[in-house]
Amino acid sequence: MSVQYTPVIWNRNKIFYDAVLLIAVALYLYIFIRVGPMFEDVTKPIDGAILRMRAFGSCAFLMLTVILCIGPLARLDRRFLPLLYNRRHFGVMTAGIAAVHANYVLTWYFNFSPTDRYVALLSSNTNYGQLLGFPFEALGIAALIVLFVLAATSHDFWLSFLGAPIWKALHMSIYAAYAFVVLHVALGALQGPADPIFTSVVAASVVLVCGLHFATGRMEARRERGEQTAKASLQEAGWVVAGELEEIDDDCAKVVTLTEDERVAIFKYDGKLSAITNACAHQNGPLGEGKVLWGCITCPWHGYQYNLADGRAPEPFTEKISTYRLKLIGSTVLLDPNPQPPGTYVEPVEIGEAA
Amino acid sequence: MQTAEFLIEIGQYYLMAGGVVAALFLVIGIDRIEPSSRGSYAFRPLLIPGICLIWPLVIYRWVVLEKHGEARR
Repeated sequence: MSVQYTPVIWNRNKIFYDAVLLIAVALYLYIFIRVGPMFEDVTKPIDGAILRMRAFGSCAFLMLTVILCIGPLARLDRRFLPLLYNRRHFGVMTAGIAAVHANYVLTWYFNFSPTDRYVALLSSNTNYGQLLGFPFEALGIAALIVLFVLAATSHDFWLSFLGAPIWKALHMSIYAAYAFVVLHVALGALQGPADPIFTSVVAASVVLVCGLHFATGRMEARRERGEQTAKASLQEAGWVVAGELEEIDDDCAKVVTLTEDERVAIFKYDGKLSAITNACAHQNGPLGEGKVLWGCITCPWHGYQYNLADGRAPEPFTEKISTYRLKLIGSTVLLDPNPQPPGTYVEPVEIGEAA
Repeated sequence: MQTAEFLIEIGQYYLMAGGVVAALFLVIGIDRIEPSSRGSYAFRPLLIPGICLIWPLVIYRWVVLEKHGEARR
């Protein structure tokens, strides 16, 4: 089963997201280009092209900073989740803004050279061995290439075609791009005449990105430790690890063998988990291979049905099967191997965020 | 200067090779290995820049998916 690809998926929320983003970017550029010069040192006026170059460059840097903050913020506080919702459009727009910045650099500094301007850009400074006067342009080019690759592979097709592990690894290179950009700014713009506002904004951005990632890392490590403790205490009380949530497909079951005669089918359905014995009360048919419909499982052998929450056949039928208690710790499913008496209601486990 | 020219030239050849891979992949390959793209053409031009940039990876995935199909997705 598949859905055909379309060029860009837009809906009301995404249009709103993109509109807010566009307005914010336009406002930033307008203020930087129109209002900024009013505060500049009149003895050192800045050319219009350089001002626009800085406006787009700083805008791309701040956008990249915000993009990198969205992930940890959404993990720290769910209220930031809407920002995560359309982050890929944010990323594509950032690559576009960075490209405009690069184009201003090329057309301002290298346009009237007899040498090809790309060659001139790469060959005008080759002092890679020194820190001061380092050819910071190369760092900007590296960042721009990464941003282009990420923007160009942001369509759903790429996730499916490359597979999640490769796609994710590729898109983790956003951190390399950020490092390149920070060095590009630190060894480039920050080496010019001291500008306390600009220096503080760059430093604050780097501290913010690093700080948020550190805080999220600590929170997740703490949560993981808590989960390990909870898992260990449940296992001590006799519960068994039934597997990981991702091993169970929607409306399907994972069958866990407790003893030779005792198998338990753990079903994932409607965002919940329930466990029942794998043996149908009629002729021991494999319930774990049955189909879930309206919270009921249908035995694949003779069509007997049972509610997954209480193991009872829908009225007027009277068959009952054993149910089992489950717990979800993080994404690990734990099972109490002691069966509940046939027909006992067991509250299904809500999957929630872990799904 | 020479190194810069050499790098630019390599970049140009790399992107040209990517263009050839993009043409072959979008005309022949994509329908064979990606069921969701069958009958869907408007989104394909959007893939050209990506294929030009990471065409060695595209060829690798194309070969893997041709050999092993959905199992390696």
